[in-house]
Amino acid sequence: MFLVAVLLYLPLLWTTFLSFTEYNGLGDPDWVGIDNYVEMFTDPAFVGSLMNTLLWVAGTLLIPVGVGLALALLTWNLPGGIWLRLPFLIPYAISGIGVGVIWSFILSANGALDQALAVFGVTDPPRWLVDAPLNTVVMILASSWQGVGVNALLFTIGLQSIPKEPLEAARVDGATGFRLFGSILWPMLRPLTAVVVGLSIVASLKTFDIVLSMTKGGPGRASETLALTMYRETFVNSDYGLGSAIAVFLSVVTLIASILYLRQQLSQKHEM
Amino acid sequence: MKSRRMVGAGIAALATATLLLAGCSGGGGNEGGDAGATTGTLDFYTDKAAWEPDFDELNATSAEAVDITLNTTGYSDAAQYDAFIKQSFRTQKSPGLFTWHTGDSLKQLVDENLVAETTDLWTKAIDEGWATEDLRDEYTFDGKQYCVPMNIAYWVMYYNKNIFEEQGIEEPTTWEELDAAATKLKAAGITPYYQTSILFTFQWFQQLVAGTDPELYKGLSTGDVKYTDPEIVDIMNIWLDEQEKGWFSDAGSTVDPAVGLKQGDFAMINFGSFFNGSLDGAGMVSGEDYDMFVIPAVNADLGTTPVAVESGPICVAENSKQKDLGMAYSEWWMSPDAQTAWNAARGDVAFNPKATVNDPMLSDLGTTVADGSHTLFTRYFEATPTPILTVALEQFGAFNANPGDPMPFLEAIQAEADKYWADQE
Repeated sequence: MFLVAVLLYLPLLWTTFLSFTEYNGLGDPDWVGIDNYVEMFTDPAFVGSLMNTLLWVAGTLLIPVGVGLALALLTWNLPGGIWLRLPFLIPYAISGIGVGVIWSFILSANGALDQALAVFGVTDPPRWLVDAPLNTVVMILASSWQGVGVNALLFTIGLQSIPKEPLEAARVDGATGFRLFGSILWPMLRPLTAVVVGLSIVASLKTFDIVLSMTKGGPGRASETLALTMYRETFVNSDYGLGSAIAVFLSVVTLIASILYLRQQLSQKHEM
Repeated sequence: MKSRRMVGAGIAALATATLLLAGCSGGGGNEGGDAGATTGTLDFYTDKAAWEPDFDELNATSAEAVDITLNTTGYSDAAQYDAFIKQSFRTQKSPGLFTWHTGDSLKQLVDENLVAETTDLWTKAIDEGWATEDLRDEYTFDGKQYCVPMNIAYWVMYYNKNIFEEQGIEEPTTWEELDAAATKLKAAGITPYYQTSILFTFQWFQQLVAGTDPELYKGLSTGDVKYTDPEIVDIMNIWLDEQEKGWFSDAGSTVDPAVGLKQGDFAMINFGSFFNGSLDGAGMVSGEDYDMFVIPAVNADLGTTPVAVESGPICVAENSKQKDLGMAYSEWWMSPDAQTAWNAARGDVAFNPKATVNDPMLSDLGTTVADGSHTLFTRYFEATPTPILTVALEQFGAFNANPGDPMPFLEAIQAEADKYWADQE
């Protein structure tokens, strides 16, 4: 309990306290009430950051989770399926910053992709990391490149844990393809899907490292996410109060999203 | 079950004790043992991790001269470094010596009495002719000095000599000649200037404003001039016009600028005179493959040519256990012997006129800017208060990436400036 208090509750309380102060990291914080929260919600760049974060949530649900599920289904029960899933799993071993560095090399102006496109006569390729929201979209794709494999692995474990009897019964009744997936596999995968989707939502809400290493949130603040805005205000701008307010907001949003999602999933489980 | 709980509690207690002990002890090897000492090993922290070998190289000279060697810890992330230094002031581990920034960042430390006063060191340096009055001003707050200069850099125009020779271009001495050079290069299919959308986005704005009207430039740093004033908008439109002519490199490129200049991605780059080290590292030879010139003033009627100067300080924490050791090293650091050794190690312009500079190009630059026909002005990075700077760097980066009507960019900077200056009243 003591460790929990020292490592979790105290920083949480301190951050919440700082969010009501003006503090540059030196001397003592000055109490300013809700000024930081007012400033945060009236800043158009913060709204842009929030929208980018929501785009990340949608993108990481659609691509890594969706493609991961598709990959698991396509390779499930397939002889040698592990060898098809394995290449997708390898990027998971790379850190987010590492993924960012690799994809920066590919996507920067005159980078590897532009040079490859030039071979095919494309002389004016899109400005992948410069134009918004294209830069956020390509970063979501880069992140998906890393995340697909582990989702596929988790879904494969889920598929393998489904009892054989209902599957065989469904097949005897003539259910195959989408019918088998919709009526049997998807409902039985729900507990695992709840975990995978829940983790994806939390991970995308705190997206930071890949954006920092690929665009630093720019140009301007066009590709900034909430976690990057928090970092910018706290450590670049030395506005610890505003940075803390963003941290509190992000924590509350993440908690609410997690609780709502899990509660909804659990209630569906009871209904089954 | 009970015994398992007790084992768990024991592990937790042990872990807590370990953490607390770790928190109470430190990583340095001089813990508590050298308060008041003026010789020994001095813990030195810097955000210039790449320069760590240069500081290490200096140890042989400093050990012989003042019996002090640096134990250098280099950070490569500036924001992480700043946070670490700020937090260190709240502990018993505030550094004996650390690099910092002049301008608003140093004023914040001075206002909180966190850095040791160095007035005596500066008085001696000025008396000995080791530093100029102009430089002392950068370190003066309420008539007292704090920290000493680690280095000095002038912001000039580097250029690829081969490209200039192939195109028959001489070093421009007027703004018209610079424009003519850019026009000629563009016509030959060569991008004249480097630009980026990250961090070093300010220099062309700095050059255009100060080169048009130094007082206007100064007014931006004091809040007397607004970024949305017509004079600034006009200057931004000059920049926009140059952007539309295609005079700047792709802001989205992540190619190392030194490599870019070497391979001819662009012909010129406006950078600090510490850039020699990067160009040498990229395999270019000073004076053969690349050279530099002071950028002419936009306004030919200015009596002298403004040159941006930056000076990074090294400071001693007021409550450091190694304060006396840090002050002793700082005093030696300003001497010609130390600066000669530093310039040999790093290859940099010398702030001490009596130091010997090996690179003839840098030596000439130091002489040129001191010849009376140039006026030094503080680099935009140090002249601008931090919150305004953060927004300005982002907006200039966005402008570089997507050049267009300058007003939205300037309005965003001014909005932050209005907020900052209102807080100062």
